[in-house]
Amino acid sequence: MKGASADAPNDLVIRGAHVLDPSSGLDGIGDVRLSAGRVVEIGEDLRGLRHLDADGLHLFPGFVDVHAHWRTPGREDEETIETGSAAAAAGGFARVVMMPNTDPVVDKPVIVSGLVRRVEQESRVRAYVSAALHEGLRGERLTEMRLLKEAGAFCVSDDGLGTRSAGVLRNGMLYARSAGLPVILHCEDYTLAIGVVHDGAAAALAGVPGSPGSAEDVATATALILATETGAKVHITHVSTALSAALVAFFKGRADVTADTTPHHLTLTDELIGKLEGLYRVNPPVRPDHDRLGVGEALTSGILDFVATDHAPHDASEKELPLEEAAPGFLGHETAFAALYTELVQSGELPLSRLIEVMACAPGRWVGGGTYGIFAGAPADLTLVDLSEEWTVQTDSLVSRSSNSPYLGRKLKGRVKGALVGGELVYDAIGARFEAA
Amino acid sequence: MPARNFLTLEGVSKQELKEVLDLARDHAAGSVVRPLANRTVCLAFFEASTRTAVSFELAARRAGADVISISEKGSAIQKGESLLDTVVTLDALGADAIVIRHPSVGAARLAARYARAAVVNAGDGRGQHPTQALLDLYALSNAWGGFDELYGRRVAVVGDILHSRVARSAIPAFCAAGMDVALVAPDTLLPSEAGAWGLPILDCVDEALGWGADVLYTLRLQKERMTGARIPSIAEYAWYYGIAEQHLKAGTLVMHPGPVNRGVEISGDAVLSGSSLILDQVGSGIAVRSAILTLATGSAQRAAA
Repeated sequence: MKGASADAPNDLVIRGAHVLDPSSGLDGIGDVRLSAGRVVEIGEDLRGLRHLDADGLHLFPGFVDVHAHWRTPGREDEETIETGSAAAAAGGFARVVMMPNTDPVVDKPVIVSGLVRRVEQESRVRAYVSAALHEGLRGERLTEMRLLKEAGAFCVSDDGLGTRSAGVLRNGMLYARSAGLPVILHCEDYTLAIGVVHDGAAAALAGVPGSPGSAEDVATATALILATETGAKVHITHVSTALSAALVAFFKGRADVTADTTPHHLTLTDELIGKLEGLYRVNPPVRPDHDRLGVGEALTSGILDFVATDHAPHDASEKELPLEEAAPGFLGHETAFAALYTELVQSGELPLSRLIEVMACAPGRWVGGGTYGIFAGAPADLTLVDLSEEWTVQTDSLVSRSSNSPYLGRKLKGRVKGALVGGELVYDAIGARFEAA
Repeated sequence: MPARNFLTLEGVSKQELKEVLDLARDHAAGSVVRPLANRTVCLAFFEASTRTAVSFELAARRAGADVISISEKGSAIQKGESLLDTVVTLDALGADAIVIRHPSVGAARLAARYARAAVVNAGDGRGQHPTQALLDLYALSNAWGGFDELYGRRVAVVGDILHSRVARSAIPAFCAAGMDVALVAPDTLLPSEAGAWGLPILDCVDEALGWGADVLYTLRLQKERMTGARIPSIAEYAWYYGIAEQHLKAGTLVMHPGPVNRGVEISGDAVLSGSSLILDQVGSGIAVRSAILTLATGSAQRAAA
């Protein structure tokens, strides 16, 4: 990771922030002292070599995103490790898992080791490589998961394409389990997912081909049943229907399963279809309000473990198209906190502490294995946020190399002002802001 | 008058419909002379079409416009030029109106965001086909003796509503004209949320007649959908949803946007019967499209002069 060195004497005191960390129970104004990349002390009137005045800001554990597409290798015109990690840092993310549906697909050990080396050189945040569950993500032959792990893969995934064959999925889970790799699954049944938007009232009236909610639910049920049977460590990503959330609830305790949903599925609905703009195509599609509410309730109650952004940059030429021809996907890193704070916390649907749990502590535990938060000895991965700042999402305010945010033009409240990784300030909107190269 | 787009009939008002139909009547009567003289109309067809393209071209020429026609064959469209590149190129050539047919929903609306010229939607995927629905209203008005005669009459839209852009334009147009509308189709040829229209859904043509349909508006069943998963057989479809001459006894009218699959959605003798408005629909296209191009290019004042 660029710039971070665990040995550097980087004594720094973050002063006067409202420290909120559900994992350690911190919720009040205080000082946090960092040294050698770690939190060493939390208290009042702390002293250190350097100070960061955080008066009026909130200090949270650094956010963690287990689902991002940094388009490297293959589509560096849309995002690179440098720009993707800069966008992540600008969104307050300290740790990110990169999905394998690149060009070429991350299905060979040499590609994994190359990515690991590039992350060390180019990434502002801690980035983890997800390798493909099957070769070319074609759903036929399993990848060399043990060698992929040796090369540095953190997990395996079928994201972006899913696994058409339940038989291949079952063997993939069994093999991933013996290789000691978690599996992130994109659940979509392609005999049902024949459209480009949610198959609901808005699609009916507009005439846009729709995919029913069952396209996700059927595949989610399949994955959960196989997870139960194989004992694999399975994470279901971007749950977007109320029924899929209920299925996850049923299988919690039966299988080693966790699940996430996205900021856009929690804040947007299929009414956007009526705009007929390619910008709003995403997979799984944004759903009707009853699904949005059902997924939100599942996140509040703990059925869904955390939020992941599915940050998916696309060039304008892939988005300024009719919905049927546009590439699916939204930018996610930079708007995740503000969108959720504005739409869910301010409306009273989600407590702020739960938002920090689902953006930081829970995905941090999933990635790191142990408690993730602000306590003495913890890595100094931290996020500073101004909850009172209102800002409008605009193309030129985005750090990402692409600009396909579904929130463009919307006014959001709550803005990330700084991100620290290993005690280093990797995003700084308090002083000089980091610019993407 | 500024350029005005014709993209959708979703949300159209009775007054807007009447404006187009009144002007179409003037065009048909020959009381409007070359309103589009010195105007350039571009036909950009990204999808095969015979009757709509011909109808628009005749409409534009009769109204005095210069016409540029590009189609998917033998143009840059075939070379992969994008919709937006085509639109801005036609714009730069000085088009006053661009008539677009495209296989994807929203293509005309997208083009309208980038074009200075007026954009007329000649069919976008499953989305809209507004000029078809307007000429249908025109033909129906003529059959019944005036636009106001449509009010309170009953129309059953029969067939493949799921995939039909004609239905998505005709349904709001019929509703705006004050007609009672029912949908008649098997569930596999309806959107899963067909209730979104808030209209009765009936099970077969006989049921539509029992409901009191004054006109049966039947839709083309696309060949690729005749076999396979959505309907078990053409025979069964024709039995329940096909229109035959015996349905037309009580003076019920029958309409079809064409091209017709005889013996599938409608029998050959029903097409040719006295109850059929099918050829009147085709014939209405020129006057209605002339009127739309006149309104789109802001030439109505010249027409009145």
